[in-house]
Amino acid sequence: MEPMNFNFQCGDPPPPSGLSLGIVGAGPSGLAAAGYLSCLGHAVEVYDKMPKPGGLMLFGIPGHRIPRQRIEAGTLRMARQYGVVFHTHTKICCSAPLFEEEGDHFCTEVKGLGEMITKHEAIMIATGSWRSRKLGIPGEDLPGVCSGLEFLFPIRAAHYCAPGVKAPDVGGKKVVVIGAGHSAVDVAHGAAALGAASVDMLYRRTRAEAPCGRLEIERLEAAGVVWHEGCLPKAVLGETAATGIVCQQGGLERGFEADLVVAAIGEVATPPFAKELGLESVRKGEVRWLNMTAIENVFVAGDALTGPSKIGKAIYSGLRAARSLAQWLDLKAQNRQTEFTGDELISREAERFPGGDFRDAPRVRGR
Amino acid sequence: MEDSKTLYIDYGKCIGCETCEYVCRFVHDMPRIHMIRTATGFMAPLYCRHCAEPNCAKVCKRGAIVRDRDGAMVLDPMLCRGCQSRQCMLACPYMAIFETDKGVTVVKCDLCAARRQRGLEPACAAMCPCGAIEYVDRATAESLPDEAAKAAEQRVLDFVKPPKTKPGE
Repeated sequence: MEPMNFNFQCGDPPPPSGLSLGIVGAGPSGLAAAGYLSCLGHAVEVYDKMPKPGGLMLFGIPGHRIPRQRIEAGTLRMARQYGVVFHTHTKICCSAPLFEEEGDHFCTEVKGLGEMITKHEAIMIATGSWRSRKLGIPGEDLPGVCSGLEFLFPIRAAHYCAPGVKAPDVGGKKVVVIGAGHSAVDVAHGAAALGAASVDMLYRRTRAEAPCGRLEIERLEAAGVVWHEGCLPKAVLGETAATGIVCQQGGLERGFEADLVVAAIGEVATPPFAKELGLESVRKGEVRWLNMTAIENVFVAGDALTGPSKIGKAIYSGLRAARSLAQWLDLKAQNRQTEFTGDELISREAERFPGGDFRDAPRVRGR
Repeated sequence: MEDSKTLYIDYGKCIGCETCEYVCRFVHDMPRIHMIRTATGFMAPLYCRHCAEPNCAKVCKRGAIVRDRDGAMVLDPMLCRGCQSRQCMLACPYMAIFETDKGVTVVKCDLCAARRQRGLEPACAAMCPCGAIEYVDRATAESLPDEAAKAAEQRVLDFVKPPKTKPGE
């Protein structure tokens, strides 16, 4: 399989520029930015807490959807041909205490932001969204209740032989999955494939409204998953471990037996130093320079800025931030940064893509 | 023509992540490949097949859509006047010509003409994380689809042009 070409902007590697750049996070956004910047000849170093670059493309989304080899070969190509250095198992500290986000147990080295700023000419934060959203119901802290990422993650990560990482043991267990997004679908498929006794999927709205789409639900049902709609979780039952879950369905309370409850209801962004970097104002588009944070040579991109989105948007955000960073480096080399502060074009460009949809998206016939 | 290359998307492999559309947007500012979500909830990118017998070129009165040296069907904005009749959009069986609010108000894929000049492949094919987009010669493109891909393609085409049902059915 052809590698994913993060360096799609250039053919052969360009002559070195002599500048060193750091990128925090090796997910779609960080890798796209690394590809763009290494195509300009900058020496790029990428830091990631996971054992391999690729982020959720590698560790969240199952291999039958995104082939592992294509991502791995792509990052390897970037390292070999374009000199991008990957520091894995490394976390740049920290908005949340360690071990609060999924995947933290992989990291063996913690670096501070100050260290990064002095080492590199500029850095980009593309840490994505890793903290799972909570259900907010009684009993959700019981053993036997986990998030979508907590469940999916070890299935993929077990390939990389990290100590203490095992595929979830669901053989013969009753599994309840909450949510109907793509990760909920992947959890349900995963549980069925790993030999769960039963898999029930609960969604608070109807089949037609499910983010994963009707076709995916039909596929799940063909795999033996039972679909329940209009089910709002009320409480997880159990004394020392989860034994079941109570839901409200059409005004009635309904209980489901469960040995494992997986809440795949989304993630929230956890960028390091959100407050110090003034990420809230970057998000609102109040910027001096596109994707630049309150610290002049620190940029931000991807889900860390916008909250959970799709690979495509994260890549676009990374590419745009990389272009912005490169332009700022050029100006800085000529000592002309102040000329463009508060430039109208920049705020217009920032407004065009705050992270959501474009107002000028292309239209198709009859829509 | 026979040895020219085209784009092929395996809808069976596509996960609807929108990387193609956003990479296209980054390269061309206005994307020429567009992700749709159908009523049944599956995602699929609409894209130009650079057909051997292109309807869009046939119906354009200005002759603004022409085949270039590499076999790509290219919209020439010098000739297109952005007519309101939108014949090309209506004629395309794959819904792959898009209306915009800029310039001549229609865009279509040109297989990354400027990138091809530099010996690079179309950007969407380079960046698709699933390897669902291939830039291959036409004969290969015809031989690539397996059963799953054919079924997925049919689902998309049924959405683009719903099959006719007899009254009362």
